[in-house]
Amino acid sequence: MTVSAGLLQALRDVVGKEHVLHKPEDLLVYELDGTIDRSLPDAVVFPGNTEEVQAVVRACNGFDVPVTPRGAGTGLSGGAVPTRQGVVLATARMRRILDVDPVERTATVEPGVPNIQLSEIAAEHGLFYAPDPSSQKACTIGGNVAENAGGPHCLALGVTTNHVIGMEVVTASGEVEWLGSHGPDPVGYDLRGVFIGSEGTLGIATKVVVRLVPVPDTVVTLLAIFDDVESASETVSAVIGAGLVPAALEMMDRVTLQAAEAGLRCGYPPDAGAVLLIELDGIEEVVRGQVTQARAACNEHGATEIRTATEPAERELLWKGRKGAIGALGRIAPNYYLLDGVVPRSRLVETMGEVARISEGYGFPVANVFHAGDGNLHPCLLFDEREPGTTARVLEAGAAIMRVCVEAGGALTGEHGVGFEKNRFMPWLYSETDLENMRRVRGVFGNEGAFNPCKVLPEGTGCGEMAHQQGALAAAGPDAYV
Amino acid sequence: MAASETPGWPLAEDAPDTADLAKCVHCGLCVNACPTYAITGLEVESPRGRIHLARAVAEERIPLTEAVQGHWELCLQCRACEAVCPSGVPYGRIMERARAQLDAAPPSKGWERRLRRFALRNVIARPRVLAALLAPVRWFARSPLRGLLRRSGVLRFTGPLGRLEAQLGRPGRPYRPRDNAGDGDVALFTGCVMSELFGDAHRASMRVLERSGARAFAPRGQGCCGALSAHDGDLAQARRLARANIATFEASGAETIVVNSAGCGAAMKEYGELLAGDPDSADRAEAMAARVIDFSEYLAGRDLPAGRLEGRIAYQDACHLAHAQGISAEPRALLGALDGCELVETEGADMCCGAAGIYSLIQPAMSGELRARKAAQFREHKPDVIVTANPGCQMQYEAAVREAGIEARVLHLAEALDSE
Ligand SMILES: Cc1cc2nc3c(=O)[nH]c(=O)nc-3n(C[C@H](O)[C@H](O)[C@H](O)COP(=O)(O)OP(=O)(O)OC[C@H]3O[C@@H](n4cnc5c(N)ncnc54)[C@H](O)[C@@H]3O)c2cc1C
Ligand code: SF4
Ligand code: SF4
Repeated sequence: MTVSAGLLQALRDVVGKEHVLHKPEDLLVYELDGTIDRSLPDAVVFPGNTEEVQAVVRACNGFDVPVTPRGAGTGLSGGAVPTRQGVVLATARMRRILDVDPVERTATVEPGVPNIQLSEIAAEHGLFYAPDPSSQKACTIGGNVAENAGGPHCLALGVTTNHVIGMEVVTASGEVEWLGSHGPDPVGYDLRGVFIGSEGTLGIATKVVVRLVPVPDTVVTLLAIFDDVESASETVSAVIGAGLVPAALEMMDRVTLQAAEAGLRCGYPPDAGAVLLIELDGIEEVVRGQVTQARAACNEHGATEIRTATEPAERELLWKGRKGAIGALGRIAPNYYLLDGVVPRSRLVETMGEVARISEGYGFPVANVFHAGDGNLHPCLLFDEREPGTTARVLEAGAAIMRVCVEAGGALTGEHGVGFEKNRFMPWLYSETDLENMRRVRGVFGNEGAFNPCKVLPEGTGCGEMAHQQGALAAAGPDAYV
Repeated sequence: MAASETPGWPLAEDAPDTADLAKCVHCGLCVNACPTYAITGLEVESPRGRIHLARAVAEERIPLTEAVQGHWELCLQCRACEAVCPSGVPYGRIMERARAQLDAAPPSKGWERRLRRFALRNVIARPRVLAALLAPVRWFARSPLRGLLRRSGVLRFTGPLGRLEAQLGRPGRPYRPRDNAGDGDVALFTGCVMSELFGDAHRASMRVLERSGARAFAPRGQGCCGALSAHDGDLAQARRLARANIATFEASGAETIVVNSAGCGAAMKEYGELLAGDPDSADRAEAMAARVIDFSEYLAGRDLPAGRLEGRIAYQDACHLAHAQGISAEPRALLGALDGCELVETEGADMCCGAAGIYSLIQPAMSGELRARKAAQFREHKPDVIVTANPGCQMQYEAAVREAGIEARVLHLAEALDSE
């Protein structure tokens, strides 16, 4: 217990008694997010506004107790897990839409607003919020900012950082600052850009100004079926090579398709080896031309069938398999471990081969879902953790796959973040000097390591409770893997 | 902290299945669909939180404490979470079984549970007792005394009775199943409270079924479906009631069993699951479940000559129709086909109204919050008619209409379709 009675009282004084949780039963669910890491907080506090956030952070700093911000807890790298216990600062009460400006096409919201709600509100003005993580019904804007979240529709329009103009933050040291601007063109160093993707280690976003974009005139979704991943990958290169920038370009492999078919009945042919989803949008005439081009590319590379949808309901049907794919994997295996790596598009096929080789070596079937357009792979290792020793081997296999991505000139994460899960891999990508510089940036925001501790950067010591993932895994029990 | 501090947990029989619990990958995708999370913002009042607690108790990480019980009991069992869960977590089943565990030794409110159990077993499940008890209620609902009491304002001080009064519409004559086996080919399920207080909806259902070309009948001897008991964790009683209904409907000879109450329909479609462990009934339960069809689901597949209903209609999904049975388009399509009607979509039409069986009596505060949300929507959209497909919800909407201060009729889907 790192939270003393004194701190508990201080927290209650700030936010009110009913907004501080400390009973063991109440804390339990705050020990995890969407992935495998676990650690119980000593208290969870729900501030209602910026001033309260600031006061909470200052109180914790005063008592030398770690703070971990939390949005909806859908994160996939343990970011919201209070690795060194202490206080979880949850944004669940901060879910007001403060302003929607249809002329400037911006919206100002509190961090706890769910991603989907932005698009729902914006729809009244013919606008939407572009980044659409598959978790968009639940995940918060604050969490999106922290993870620089992406989604299927980020290929053409960019990820969170391309859509957040500015924000108010309470820094790790407890200062209220405005980063970025209220309008489109910030000057000076882009501290906004530094904060986005910092995984909750620099401070807490308390207000976020986002850009809204017009709902396109025409949207056409193509679903192309192939015999194998190679032909589908070649098609991806051909589509991009032809100068098209689809709104979305997604791929699923055979194992994923079988799961999706079993769970969702999407009408995929039983022998399909890969499926590409290509979405094109814009002005009608332009889209029509692009559709012709994309279809040609698919046909040229051996598509066995191409389905086209223009109406929202039809399009939704084509997307159904993709959106539910990860969840559907639960139907063909008791557990799955979802990885998030990035490779240059040109190395996609080769990397896939490596992934297959590694997983076969370890004896795990693998299902692949990709944001193919930007080389973001999500291999899912299928396993049954009830078999002794499997968990450790799955982690090993995961590490080997991450290594392959890095060696192919890629990155450790496309969108789920480094968090606690992958911080030990950071030295593969960065020199000690790089890491030291990152630590200094953290220091600029007043974080000497106690604010959302043990995340992003490898920590030698001090993450005792979670020292080894294996330990956490053993404790996590069956199916703790997304 | 061993679970042995709570004698009896986990019960060998009817404990949440560890395989069911393990299906939850705590992705959190369900939390925003959950009404109690929407109101409280607390993960302990969310599906993920409740499952996590059930798992922690099952794994003996924590004892079954009063706080845990409280979080489970605040659950409406509306199953909105189940409908959006990509992993296919059978939340409804988990929660029924979690509640069954409270029987062994509830950490608190033991007498309340016993009283509730007594009422469910000895009143709701016994048609004659229920009829005798509800006759005066029906009389009161239409008597001048009621207006007097309302105007005097004393109802505000009568706690649960006052809340019940606010939910009471103007019940017509009861509709009690009296037909013999073989009197038709489509059997109507009439239920418990529904046949006493919503006789009009049953009569309307019969007429609409006939208009669609069916030969409908209500076989005698049927009774409560058992849903209320199951939700309360009294699975033994739920099974008894299920077995009785299975026998009745087998004898009726009907190919199809039409259910016009969402909660009953959902429960009956799951009879197979409920009785899976009973070798004598398992197959028969499966067979019965396969014959159960919701009223709107049945009509969607038939040629119903369009009726007529003037005005703006706001359809409100019943949770156990939309979430448990996945039926939300059919009722809207049927209503949309009515001449003279304009269907209005209100925000949160598919979110629980807070009635949730006997929930509104046990958790008045949360139930009131949810009702207020509906009332706010009604105030904004001013519908002329509010339509739903479950008796409990109908009662809650009567209260919400009054709270909104608007003049709107609350109808069962069958009554809306019955107008010509
Ligand atoms: C089924 C599923 C599908 C997913 N699909 C995608 C996808 O397509 N694309 C994608 O990018 N991600 C995806 N994710 C991952 C996850 O949803 C995102 O990372 C999301 O941005 C996390 O948001 P959250 O509100 O849940 O944050 P949390 O998980 O609560 O927290 C994530 C991190 O943000 C920090 N944080 C939270 N709020 C704030 C704040 N106000 N200020 C500063 N830091 C804060 C936390 O400390 C933590 O480090 C998926 C997750 C699941 C479970
Ligand atoms: S119940 Fe389903 S949606 Fe909810 S957290 Fe568990 S797996 Fe995710
Ligand atoms: S059944 Fe309803 S109230 Fe209960 S957890 Fe699920 S969504 Fe929430």
